Amino acid sequence: MILLKLISWPYARKHLLRATLTTVGIVLGVAVFVGIHLANGSVLAAFNRTVDRIAGKAQLQITAGEPGFDEEVLERVQALPEVGVAVPAIEAPVETGLKGQGNLLILGVDMTGDRSLRDYDLEGEGEQEEVVEDPLVFLAQPDSLIVTREFASRNGLRIDSRLSLGTMEGPRQFTVRGIMRSEGLGAAFGGNLAVMDIYAAQKVFGRGRRFDRIDVAAAEGVSIADCRRAIQAALGPGFQIEPPSSRGKQFESLLRVYSMLMNVNSLFALFIGVFLIYNSFAIAVTQRRPEIGILRALGATRGQIRALFLGEGALAGLFGSIAGVLAGIVMARVLAGYTTSVMQGVYGVSESAREIEASPGLIAAALAMGMAASLVGAFLPARNAARVDPVQALQKGKYQVLTAGENRARRIAAALLAAGALTPLLFTRSRPAFYMGYVMMALCALLLTPTLALWLARLFRPLLRWIRPVEGALAADSLLQAPRRTSATVAAVMLSLALVIGLAGLARAGYAAIQEWLDTTLNPDLYVSASSNLVTRSYHFPDSMTSELRALEGVEEIQRVRSSRILFRGGVVMLVSLEMESIARRTPRRRPVAGDLAAMHRLAAQGKAVIISESLAQLQNLRMGDILEVAAPRGLLRLPVAGILRDYSDQQGSIFLDRSVYLRWWNDSSADIFRIYLKPGVRAEDLKARILERFAGQRRLFVLLNHEVREYILRLTDQWFGMSYIQLAVAVLVAVLGIVNTLTVSIADRRRELGILRAVGGLAAQIRGTIWMEALAIGLISLALGLGLGAVNLLYDIEMARRDFAGMTLDYRYPFGMALALVPILLGAAWVSALAPAETAVRGSLTEALEYE
Amino acid sequence: MSNAPRYIRPPRLFLALLLALSAWAQDPRRIVEESQRRTRSGSQMYEGDLQVVDARRRVSQKRWRYRRMGSYGDSKALLRFTAPPDVKGVALLVVNHPDRASDQWMWTPAIGRDRRIALQDRSTRFFGTDFSFEDLEERDVDQFDFTLLGAETIDGALCWKIESRPRKKSQYTSSHLWIRQDNYVPARLDNFIKDEVVRRLFYRQVERIQEIWTARELDMTDLRRNSRTILRLEKVRYNVPLQEEEFTVQALRREQ
Repeated sequence: MILLKLISWPYARKHLLRATLTTVGIVLGVAVFVGIHLANGSVLAAFNRTVDRIAGKAQLQITAGEPGFDEEVLERVQALPEVGVAVPAIEAPVETGLKGQGNLLILGVDMTGDRSLRDYDLEGEGEQEEVVEDPLVFLAQPDSLIVTREFASRNGLRIDSRLSLGTMEGPRQFTVRGIMRSEGLGAAFGGNLAVMDIYAAQKVFGRGRRFDRIDVAAAEGVSIADCRRAIQAALGPGFQIEPPSSRGKQFESLLRVYSMLMNVNSLFALFIGVFLIYNSFAIAVTQRRPEIGILRALGATRGQIRALFLGEGALAGLFGSIAGVLAGIVMARVLAGYTTSVMQGVYGVSESAREIEASPGLIAAALAMGMAASLVGAFLPARNAARVDPVQALQKGKYQVLTAGENRARRIAAALLAAGALTPLLFTRSRPAFYMGYVMMALCALLLTPTLALWLARLFRPLLRWIRPVEGALAADSLLQAPRRTSATVAAVMLSLALVIGLAGLARAGYAAIQEWLDTTLNPDLYVSASSNLVTRSYHFPDSMTSELRALEGVEEIQRVRSSRILFRGGVVMLVSLEMESIARRTPRRRPVAGDLAAMHRLAAQGKAVIISESLAQLQNLRMGDILEVAAPRGLLRLPVAGILRDYSDQQGSIFLDRSVYLRWWNDSSADIFRIYLKPGVRAEDLKARILERFAGQRRLFVLLNHEVREYILRLTDQWFGMSYIQLAVAVLVAVLGIVNTLTVSIADRRRELGILRAVGGLAAQIRGTIWMEALAIGLISLALGLGLGAVNLLYDIEMARRDFAGMTLDYRYPFGMALALVPILLGAAWVSALAPAETAVRGSLTEALEYE
Repeated sequence: MSNAPRYIRPPRLFLALLLALSAWAQDPRRIVEESQRRTRSGSQMYEGDLQVVDARRRVSQKRWRYRRMGSYGDSKALLRFTAPPDVKGVALLVVNHPDRASDQWMWTPAIGRDRRIALQDRSTRFFGTDFSFEDLEERDVDQFDFTLLGAETIDGALCWKIESRPRKKSQYTSSHLWIRQDNYVPARLDNFIKDEVVRRLFYRQVERIQEIWTARELDMTDLRRNSRTILRLEKVRYNVPLQEEEFTVQALRREQ
């Protein structure tokens, strides 16, 4: 403690800026970790509260995926003696058309029985006062709506106010016939919730005689488990009977990919943090070598010196982690926006976390993580400091040299690690082994960095000399004489560049794959969709609309598509019903991942098989011929996999089956999208106009041209891969910080040498040039290693995308464009980093520099 | 008694008979049973006028046509609203069973479909009135335990005051029922939750229609909500010929 106060504190105070910058990596890593977990946790907590509010006293919910099920199921459930209350519900997000209000979640319920499960907490004077002024009118009039107090006050609504909502038949006027208090159910989705009669909702949203789910409370004296067993026995395996909280788990599984990606980013930032700490401490040990020598001469033990530096590391980690936690809380608010948008995509209505709630456990974990990273970074410099020989400390420059023995040991360890890294990539599907291999690959690269940096410095020496004969040679020699000094910076920059290359390569390959999918599969001339974004599935078209569309002039062929999310093996997947025969005819260029394209479509069209997306096959470990068991309201549908196709419509994977099978097992004839092919010579714009005119005022529909859909999908893809730009920024920041640190040490080490140069007539411009060249050399070496390691990293990233993220098999495409762009960016960053140290070298006191002489 | 002159002593047999008759008449279950027997008819029709006065003294009015076929425990009833316009045509079909809860369907013409009302909580208010669905059910005497509490006068008529306690699950803990001693017509009903009266019903304007004593006005007050519902029965007719087909879900949809 005394050493920390007397030795460390004055040094830190003198180099406050560097000390602060050193902790940036820790701050970033901890901030991203805290931010993503807080954001996800808070939105999830808010969502779970909402689920609770909507579920009311329901102990179980009966569902059969998004398609819902026939009304008759309700009577079967209500007839069970184990069931106390069973009430149906429909949920549908609708556009309000009110500025800034977003979507409104319509909860369709049967008000005659529902109040025994849900507390509507209606506004009124007394406790028992009803403000659905007349429940009979509410039920009798299909335009009746109960809104929340919050929504009503935001929009100036009162009882009998009119509100326009998007329905299956286009915008329709609704009447506010009740106002809920902004508590309980009324607080769900931030007040953007309205209740209407379920039978009216069926009509308005084109749901036919179907319910989305049934909320159940067990009969008195019956346990929830018994109630659940009885319902499952009565309804069969086609239905999911789960507590309401399971909806939160489904949402969590949808966030999995995003959370994983963010966790990788957080680890990446921490990794960089470790290197910054290492780099900074290595500088500190270098600069304080005489001080350490004196301390050792005065009797300080090796342990005390080690403890001193580790203590400094722990303190830096603590401060960095605290700052990271604070930054993470701020970051969480931004990241919560993304989580919210995922929810918007899934549920149609966004649940924003009003309060970011940080749990003590999370904060403790973040602090521990930051401190551990910092200690890891400080470990080697601390060990080196402890080993300082007071005599060697006076031999300037000697300690930066790598011994031949050390080099050999590193190479052997690196070779072993490389073998360990390749094994899981080639021979096993085990997830832990794969990630272990990934870490081994990084460690191998780190161990080889000093040797490779040395080789490259030798290689670049002629080039540097050619550019500037004197300054170039001096700069190259400086690197050759002190590989240890440079290697930490090179390693940090190399790692960040490798990550950038990996992500950019992933983006490029993903982009190309999606482009191919768009070209071969999404080829209709027009799409008629019930939602503007082709994703929301609250509105469905009745089957009768097919003939109405077919009757329009210019239509050659129509394919009906019905997509819905269903539960499959505990996760959520997309079930897509298609007219297989027509699809096979229209998409002949598709490259199957497995199976014969014509045969798989023929079998699927005959109702004898299903086709699955590659992502589903990867994520669920499914192969050709495997029997898929899909829960449907009519029972357990068992069909073999006849083909595997690339499809990017859903990250969790898709099951494609023929429309006839879907009709038989789900008894649902509706469609979400009509894919329309035109007769030759017909302009898509003309047919679009005809469709809009034909259904104006009758149906809510959106007609999208092929290029509009393509643009929309590519825009979404861009957003998804936009994260690589953030990583690029971090990589540049790391490069700048690392190079500044390295050059500072270099100048400190070479003060005498630079002083002599100046004394013998070296010009300021030459000194400056030497430093710049050294920076550029570090930049070049880092670039060469980073771009090389990036090539290996991309291999792992592609494998990661295939195994864990999205089940996508992507072609290996090195991102040459990004690699080329990185050259000027990084060299520019290196030069900028050299500006201040170079000025320090030029303006430093000559007397001080030559003091030793 | 033993010192009384022999001539004023009632004959032993007569005394025994009187005691037996009195005991029979004082059996509260029998009183309720008799009350129900006297209002029994093969069918009933009336036009109802319903007035709900809420806590803020706002009045809403509705009219309906009512038809019933069969009697206690085994009847079918159809109620169709005729006014105001926004509920006109809404209809309710109730099929009562002797051994289980009634089946109910509702027809809402604006949506164009019928729905089954699965009444899982009988305490639910009947479409915004002060009657709960349970209040409108036919009461089977076997489902209650009765105690005679004494006699009281209601609107000038001497009544038996009987306490009933439900044997099955009910929203009410107990009820107090006043039955007129002169014609066995119910005069008042107080429903209790624990010791608190929560709903009070008065049977008024009692008239003899086709030999059946009929209360033409039912006045229900919800004492917790401080609201009141008055149902007036007009054009009451009993034992009119009605067809089974008139009490089906199809008929519910058909008739307007």
